[in-house]
Amino acid sequence: MEKLNPQQVEILYRHLVWNGTDEALFEELLDHLACEVEHYMWIGLPFETALEKVQLEANAKAVKHLRKTYQIELTMNEEQLRKADLDDIVFQFRNKAYGAYDLRQEYRNSLRTALLMTVGMVLMMMALLTTVSTGKWTYLSVWGLVWTVGLLSFSYAVGTCIRQRIQQRYRIVR
Amino acid sequence: MEPSGNEFLRGTLKTIVLKLLTERGRMYGYEITQSVKERTQGEVILTFGALYPVLHKLQQEGLLITESVEVDGRLRKYYTLTPSGNEMAHQKVSDFERFVEVMKALLQPVPALSLGH
Repeated sequence: MEKLNPQQVEILYRHLVWNGTDEALFEELLDHLACEVEHYMWIGLPFETALEKVQLEANAKAVKHLRKTYQIELTMNEEQLRKADLDDIVFQFRNKAYGAYDLRQEYRNSLRTALLMTVGMVLMMMALLTTVSTGKWTYLSVWGLVWTVGLLSFSYAVGTCIRQRIQQRYRIVR
Repeated sequence: MEPSGNEFLRGTLKTIVLKLLTERGRMYGYEITQSVKERTQGEVILTFGALYPVLHKLQQEGLLITESVEVDGRLRKYYTLTPSGNEMAHQKVSDFERFVEVMKALLQPVPALSLGH
C-alpha cells in the first residue's frame, strides 16, 4: 500500500483549512482523505490525479454540508438546553479557546471585584483625609470604622483577583 | 444506489455503524466506509459528510468510545462500542429486521379479497 509523505498530507491539510473544516472533525477528515488518496494510488493512479479526485469529492460544498449536518446532529438536547446559559448557546460550535468565552464567563466576578476594590479605596481615602484634617486618630470612631471596612473590602478584592489569576494560569497550562 | 436509496439510508446509518462495530470491534471512519462499500458491492456508498456526524453523535450518547492512534504520522481515531452501545446495537438490528419484515408484507401484492361471491 502506498503511503503519503508529510508534504503530500500537508497539501490535504491546506485543502481542508481552505474549505473551512470544523475543528472537531479536522484530524479525522484529514486521515479520511489521506486514506482515500492512498487507495486511489494503490489502484494505480499517480498522486496528482488521486489528489485531484479526492479534492473534487471533498469540495467546499461537501465540507459545508458536513458542517451543517454535524451541527444539526450534535446540537444540545432539551435537557442540556435547559441547563445551558446564554454563553453556552452562543458559543456552541464556536472557538471557546480564543478568549471571549472566558471573558464572558468571568464577567460577573470581575465586575464585583472591581467594585469592591473601588469602594474600599474610596472609604480608606475618606478616612485618611478626615484624619489628616482633624489631626486625631482612633480606631474607636466612625472614621476608624470606615477605614477598617474599606481596608477589609479592598484586601478581599485584591485576594480574589490574585486567586482568579492563579486559576486562570492553571487552566491555560492544563 | 439511486437518490431515493439515500433517503432510506439516512435512518439506518446508526444501525449500520453499530452493527459493523459489533462484528469488527475497533474501526476508524474510512474503514467503515470501505467495509460498507465492499459488503454491498458498491451499492451503498457512505460519504464522510454522512458518516462523521453519526459517529460523533453516537459518541456523545455514550454508545462509542474513541482512541486516537498515530499511524503514518497522522492521527487516526478508532471507535469501539461501550457496553451500552453493544446493547443498543443488538436492539437496533432486531428492530430493523422486524421493520424489513413488516415492509415486505406491506409491499407484497395483496391477494384478491372478494372470493366469496
